Amino acid sequence: MDELEILKKQWQSQEQGLPHVSYKEIYKMLLKKSSSIVKWIFFISIAELGFWTLLSVFVPESSTKFSDDIGLHNVMVAVNVLNYTVFATFIILFYRNYRKISITDSIKELMQNILRTRKTVKYFVIYNVSASLLLIIGINFYYYANQDIVFKFMTEDYGISNISQERFMRMFFVIQILFGIVMIGFVLLFYRVVYGILLRRLHKNYNELKKIEA
Amino acid sequence: MYNFYDFCNERKHINTNRKANNSPLSKKLEHSFVTQLEKNQNIVHKICRLYTNDSDSHNDLFQEITIQLWRAYPKFRGEAKFSTWMYRVALNTAITLYRKSKRTIKTQDYEGVSFKITAEAYDDTTEQQLQLMYTAVKGLNDIDKALVFLYLEDRNYKEIAETLGITEVNARVKMNRIKEKLRTILNP
Repeated sequence: MDELEILKKQWQSQEQGLPHVSYKEIYKMLLKKSSSIVKWIFFISIAELGFWTLLSVFVPESSTKFSDDIGLHNVMVAVNVLNYTVFATFIILFYRNYRKISITDSIKELMQNILRTRKTVKYFVIYNVSASLLLIIGINFYYYANQDIVFKFMTEDYGISNISQERFMRMFFVIQILFGIVMIGFVLLFYRVVYGILLRRLHKNYNELKKIEA
Repeated sequence: MYNFYDFCNERKHINTNRKANNSPLSKKLEHSFVTQLEKNQNIVHKICRLYTNDSDSHNDLFQEITIQLWRAYPKFRGEAKFSTWMYRVALNTAITLYRKSKRTIKTQDYEGVSFKITAEAYDDTTEQQLQLMYTAVKGLNDIDKALVFLYLEDRNYKEIAETLGITEVNARVKMNRIKEKLRTILNP
């Protein structure tokens, strides 16, 4: 195989034509991990939207019928529209952060982008937690103000009988409060675990960047 | 075949090995890594040139290899030469990345294929032969390419076998088959 031997002989001579990457450039590459972290934030936010959408498909019909019956239909639609709009806005923001981080070259810009991403995620979490909290509190106030209707439709829709209104309502609110706490706890835990890990990594990268910038 | 398991395990180890992130030790680790990579970067460039066809993908692959090397670095404790260890991680990265984007890389532009010689001027036929050979090597599948690369780098079969995680006999047999393949490509 003569040609291969010729190539082998000449193999090392190509080195002069190879590009050279400087110490600082290599160092910077080590920190590029940021872009993949931000990419994950983007993907997870989409997955999350998908999860909530899927969940709403599986909500039992009796439950939607109940909220329709007591006159919350329009409110629920409005809440959903608002929620999806805000979610979509955040997803767009996450995507823009990701694009920006993956094309930056200067360390300074990268640092600014990391800070911006962290802020966006923070607002996203704050929005989600407070929105669910407000929704739960609001609905329960509505229930409280319209106890008669709630009792009437609850007993009709779910076929409950042999219970006084007072006792039923007491049980109802206890369950609502417990459910609300579990729900908020779940949301908080989710964000703490998923986004918390990613944000901590971003922060670590940020600190490393600060060291080479200094 | 390839010791992808080792490769993956190395990547898993990063988290346990780099807990103390701001310690002077990790600072020293960074410095020694970057210095060594800077010194040995030609190896990575040659792999990039072999596995990609334009400067953008060349740079992408270089960066990807750098990151993979850095992730695997805590496991590298000088049991082999830095360059030997580098061959393994870099080739593994090139092969896995290449697998992912096979379709986009298949379209070859001629410019990227050419083998650049900057040493003495050669007569046209030798030059032409070199180009044809290099093009043929680039056309091989990713795994054969890795073997030829190590061969061209003048590694002996023992080293080739170790780097690719195959037996020495297997490496020899494979290399002979590749030579056969290249012969048929060049003289159809």
